[in-house]
Amino acid sequence: MPPGNEYAAEQLKNQGNVHFKNGEYEQAEALYSQAIQKNSKNPLLFTNRANARLKLEKWDGVIDDCLRSIELMKDNMKAYFYLAQAQLSVHHPNEALTSALTAYELCTKTAQQTSNAATLTALVLKCKKAKWDIRERDRIRRRADLLAELEQKLELDYKSTIDGIEESVEKGEKGRIEGQEEKQERKLEWEKKVNDLRTAFALSDPEHLQKREVPDYLVDGITFEIMHDPVVTRNGRSYERATLIEHLKRSPTDPLTREPLMIDQLRPNIALKEACTEFMEQNSGWVYDCEDGENDHDTRWAHLSSV
Amino acid sequence: MFASKRLQKELSKMQGKLPPGIEVVKAEDFSEWLMDIKVVDSNPLYAGETYRLKFAFSSNYPIEAPEVVFVQTTDRPIPWHPHIYSNGIICLDLLDRQGWSPVHNVESICVSLQSMLTSNTKKERPPGDENFVRYNTQRPRDISFVFHDNQV
Repeated sequence: MPPGNEYAAEQLKNQGNVHFKNGEYEQAEALYSQAIQKNSKNPLLFTNRANARLKLEKWDGVIDDCLRSIELMKDNMKAYFYLAQAQLSVHHPNEALTSALTAYELCTKTAQQTSNAATLTALVLKCKKAKWDIRERDRIRRRADLLAELEQKLELDYKSTIDGIEESVEKGEKGRIEGQEEKQERKLEWEKKVNDLRTAFALSDPEHLQKREVPDYLVDGITFEIMHDPVVTRNGRSYERATLIEHLKRSPTDPLTREPLMIDQLRPNIALKEACTEFMEQNSGWVYDCEDGENDHDTRWAHLSSV
Repeated sequence: MFASKRLQKELSKMQGKLPPGIEVVKAEDFSEWLMDIKVVDSNPLYAGETYRLKFAFSSNYPIEAPEVVFVQTTDRPIPWHPHIYSNGIICLDLLDRQGWSPVHNVESICVSLQSMLTSNTKKERPPGDENFVRYNTQRPRDISFVFHDNQV
């Protein structure tokens, strides 16, 4: 790299940041690209461009930038964070979940594991929900196929029985009236079977089942959400790690007893975490309502997009 | 960050099952709610009256305490209490920066205020009420009260 290029790249990056702050993402992206041409070894240039591309919804570009940034710097929380969002947007929830979990893990390892952790917890839940949605869609499709197949079998059975009756009538083995009656009977029988089958499928549909409340012991007393990474305090109460840390930063006391409580006194509650995971696996979908409308996108990610 | 979600959940939990004497008046958004409270036992100081509370939430609720004050309307007076100024500002450790804990919620604040009134027997305002009401320009949460008095 010719001398001075690093400096030039830095200048271009700073200009890009100004545009980014003003919401001029196209200009920002262009300037970051120029910076990368000057210095392709700086992982931060790639994450900055990824963030601009995220705003422009250029998902593939985001993914490329994040992967290159991670190549240059392994423990790259921001890159994994942007990557997860892009992967979620291109409907790869499995990959997105892995990226989000990696980002969360990196985040909890850093010194200021705080408000970012809360954002990442929300993202992890969102990925899980997307994953569940896809599974659910497949399940409905498979189920519909199975129902169609079974109905078809019943119909074939019925038709061959009818054919048999008609044959006997032709051959004179059965009277015409007797044949008519028998056909009518078989028809009713067949219709009843189809009905029963449909009822059975409808009953097994979770949409017809009562939604279960998330039990209180799985719910974080601060956000009132089901927990994803519960930690236990000295008095035995558990809270979501990210939100409890938010509170401890302001006031290093136990939320219930007000006894002094330090962040490094928290311990993960592994059994409870597993219980939460299991509950979500079984009752997913409706447990986390991460509707996009609820969270204002810009403010939510704002503190992470410091460039 | 999670204020709106948390408030949404609080609201749906409160729907239909609130302790006696507590009512939601207005909770249309997640920045300001109005609640009515009554003292349910027969404390003569508060008998037959209803008081209106205004809750203002920041986007950091429940990490940050909400700002809670009594508001006066034609049929909603400000209750007499040695810790309640005549402009509705309440001096209660639970609502102060230091005393707040994120496990509290709108309902528990209302219950605390109810019991604060229930146990009071003095028809008094805090010392220096007149001056405070006239000259205070600070928002309640920025005032640092000294919680000197644990008797009431």
